[in-house]
Amino acid sequence: MVKENVLKEILVAALSHGGDFAEIYIEDRLNKSIALISGAIEKSLSGRDYGVGIRIFNGLKSIYVYTNDASKNNLVKLAKEAALGLEAGETGTIKALSRINVTNHHKIERYPASVLVKDKIDLMKRAYEQSKNYDALIKQVKVNYMDYDKRILIANSEGLLKEDRQVRTRLSVTSIARNNSEMQTGSDNIGGHIGFELYNEKKVDAIAIESARIAKTMLLADKCPSGKMDVVIDNGFGGVIFHEACGHGLEATSVAKGNSVYAGKIGEKIASDLVTAIDDGTIKNAWGSSNIDDEGFKTEKNILIEKGILKKYMVDRLNGRRMKMEPTGSSRRQNYRYAPTSRMTNTYIDNGNSTKEEIIGNTASGLFAKKLGGGSVNPLTGEFNFNVMEAYIIKNGKIEKPVRGASLIGKGSAVLKNIDMVGNNLALGQGNCGSSSGSLPVNVGQPTIRVKNITVGGVKDE
Amino acid sequence: MNSTKLDDIIEKLLNKSESHGFDGAEIMVTSQKDFEASVFEGDIDEYSISESSGLSFRGIKNGVIGYAYTEKIDNTSSELLLKEAMDNLKVIDSKDQEFIFTNEDERSYKEINQFNEAHNKVSNEEKINMLKKMEKEAYAYDHRVSTVNHCIFGDGNQLLKIRNTYNIDLEEKSNGFYIYFSVGVKSKEEIQSGYSIFFGNDYKKVDYKSIVHEAVDKAVSLLGAEPIKSDNYPVVIENKTFASLLKAYASIFSAEAVQKGLSLLKGKLNREIGHSGLTIIDHPHLEDKMASRSFDSEGVPTQEKKIVENGQLKTFLHNLKTANKAQVESTGNAIRYSYKSSVGIAPSNLYIEAGKLSVEDIVKSIDNGLYIVSLEGMHAGINPVSGDFSLAAKGFLIKHGEKIKPVNQITVSGNFLKVLQAIEMIGSDLKFGLPSGASVYGAPSIKVKSLTISGN
Repeated sequence: MVKENVLKEILVAALSHGGDFAEIYIEDRLNKSIALISGAIEKSLSGRDYGVGIRIFNGLKSIYVYTNDASKNNLVKLAKEAALGLEAGETGTIKALSRINVTNHHKIERYPASVLVKDKIDLMKRAYEQSKNYDALIKQVKVNYMDYDKRILIANSEGLLKEDRQVRTRLSVTSIARNNSEMQTGSDNIGGHIGFELYNEKKVDAIAIESARIAKTMLLADKCPSGKMDVVIDNGFGGVIFHEACGHGLEATSVAKGNSVYAGKIGEKIASDLVTAIDDGTIKNAWGSSNIDDEGFKTEKNILIEKGILKKYMVDRLNGRRMKMEPTGSSRRQNYRYAPTSRMTNTYIDNGNSTKEEIIGNTASGLFAKKLGGGSVNPLTGEFNFNVMEAYIIKNGKIEKPVRGASLIGKGSAVLKNIDMVGNNLALGQGNCGSSSGSLPVNVGQPTIRVKNITVGGVKDE
Repeated sequence: MNSTKLDDIIEKLLNKSESHGFDGAEIMVTSQKDFEASVFEGDIDEYSISESSGLSFRGIKNGVIGYAYTEKIDNTSSELLLKEAMDNLKVIDSKDQEFIFTNEDERSYKEINQFNEAHNKVSNEEKINMLKKMEKEAYAYDHRVSTVNHCIFGDGNQLLKIRNTYNIDLEEKSNGFYIYFSVGVKSKEEIQSGYSIFFGNDYKKVDYKSIVHEAVDKAVSLLGAEPIKSDNYPVVIENKTFASLLKAYASIFSAEAVQKGLSLLKGKLNREIGHSGLTIIDHPHLEDKMASRSFDSEGVPTQEKKIVENGQLKTFLHNLKTANKAQVESTGNAIRYSYKSSVGIAPSNLYIEAGKLSVEDIVKSIDNGLYIVSLEGMHAGINPVSGDFSLAAKGFLIKHGEKIKPVNQITVSGNFLKVLQAIEMIGSDLKFGLPSGASVYGAPSIKVKSLTISGN
């Protein structure tokens, strides 16, 4: 991408005015996205992102500059300008760059550029047909396809020089069901750090039909009642509850400055004995995986919570300095426009011993949240909220009827302690997580779990 | 890149478009220079500067548009751009006719000044010193402040150019800044948070102490908050919070959503959709508002319009494509969030017109109800298609016309359209929230007859 002697020159310029660490991140990425609505292709967008980010540390201070004018003169100029953000100090030391080949753990068989656009479109039209034909109540279907092929280079003043290539693709279907008085939506998607081989007819049909099934079910559902209830949250995307209620609070971004309820609690019991939670950036071809993180560290399988005891935070280089902890391969960024920071990758609650049937069967009355939508959290107070895309009332250990419009709120610390049953059917779901270093592909996951006494937001008729 | 060189690249691309098979073409270029810094514990924590630009090409053939963009702007990219745009064009099979703006009626552009030279003279050092003073002020102002978790100043300069083969040649220079300040306050084991935001392009208007006090006061006022009993209550939604609800549902006014059957306002044009006192305005020419602009992302002149007047739905927001389909004129609401994105629809400064009542009078009218100051989870807890929402909320319990205690860990549920119909009082305290995308949303405080609260 950029020659080694140029990289060296930029690093020298970056540390010319003081500072103890400098890093260059170069990104060259080809994007493609296609949108289908009402059965017709409406948008096809493509383009090339190209940019360079330079970061300088001085102790706990961090400077970041980026540009997409990657000429040598401009990069050196910008590195010098960045250096001026520091108070004058001694010139930092730079080790000779030594290139380390990154081992690829995520085999790509069909690179996006090698696949005909027609094949991508055929897939989308198939998804459309499957959803539309599911039921006469399905009045509209949106299908979105995206892929990208991204090459990154990371070089730093400690002599690290690594390059990696990341290919991701995703297909999502949103179905809208409508009758005379109401409209409801359902959606589903698949994606991975993988090429076009991800897709086959069976998988595409499954997500299309699933999205239509949810839309229709919710259209015909009663309104969700409100109040405190025991809530059974199904496996897969249900894991977003851990992601929001706890995961963000374990990112060094929040922990380092004491802005998390979990700061200073390593070794303490923060969850029920049944909870073991893991962030694993190494899962083969998973949506949130990569070979290396955006600081060049190998990604890892990090056990965050083991049998309820807090074991580890997700730590990046800068926050690691403040916390006096080693980085955990968790540093991520949306693109060169963001400085990297500690973020989740594929995060899940590990399997327990109960079956899903036992969990529902043991619930006298409550809510079954079969599919969660998105949510958000305030890491400072731990208060979270989620929307439930598909929910059912549980009565006497049986699923009674579907209900719509539910949301779940609470405090993360309380929810972790109130998990009283954990299933054995771990599955992952794909999402995008927005936070301080941009929007990132993440997997969330869990087996079916039960949480006692959550506030369920619903509607009470007048 | 100097502007003569850029103009030369644009010129060449437009000239080549015909030989590549396009009937017409348009180039959009944005160049940006940004600065951002944050302070933590008396020192610079993060500091960033950036220069970036991107170029988008749109070519039209037989009423279909093909897009391509690049961040590498030079003459060597042009062949690839034109080819990609044509490849993208060929796969479109939507029947909706698209347009590149010709301005045949010679509609005129309102002059808007979004650039303040004085701001660019403020040194980065001065901005950082202010952040340091803000952090100090928070701890001095209230001993319960336990952390200042965001103390950020950001600003930027942007240059936008749109040129096409039909003699549209537009340029807009703008600058602006924002300050984001948030704190945590602690009393015994309880933590509450509060934030405030200031934005504009006149640095002289910054009163840093009031920004700090607003965030701290907000957090402190919530200390001791607890849920209330689940029930239906009359509710006052505070101005900025109602503005964020309006933002979450803004897509229902988009003609694109209507034409695709994705808006709950479909078929409701010229019908009553809300309380008779409700007027909603989209005003792209307001002074001192960050979403003001003289032309939209297709180069069409912008215009002020009432979307809802006295409860009646008057118009949807249009770009060239939806306007053609509906046989009306574009309302100048085409939007592209960047050179990477396609043309969509968004409001400029969208707000609910102020009423005559003071907030105090509105609160006095309630015997047992809720005053809501925050709604969380908008990106997931609202359904813009059905209008249903179920959101985490914070606020104050109102008893006998007075706010008596803070409330949290509750949800508020309802339906946006039903909320518009159930409006009982509109306050005089119109306030605008922070910019979002290319839009800014504003509202006064509003009393709604009844919403479902889920708590204990």
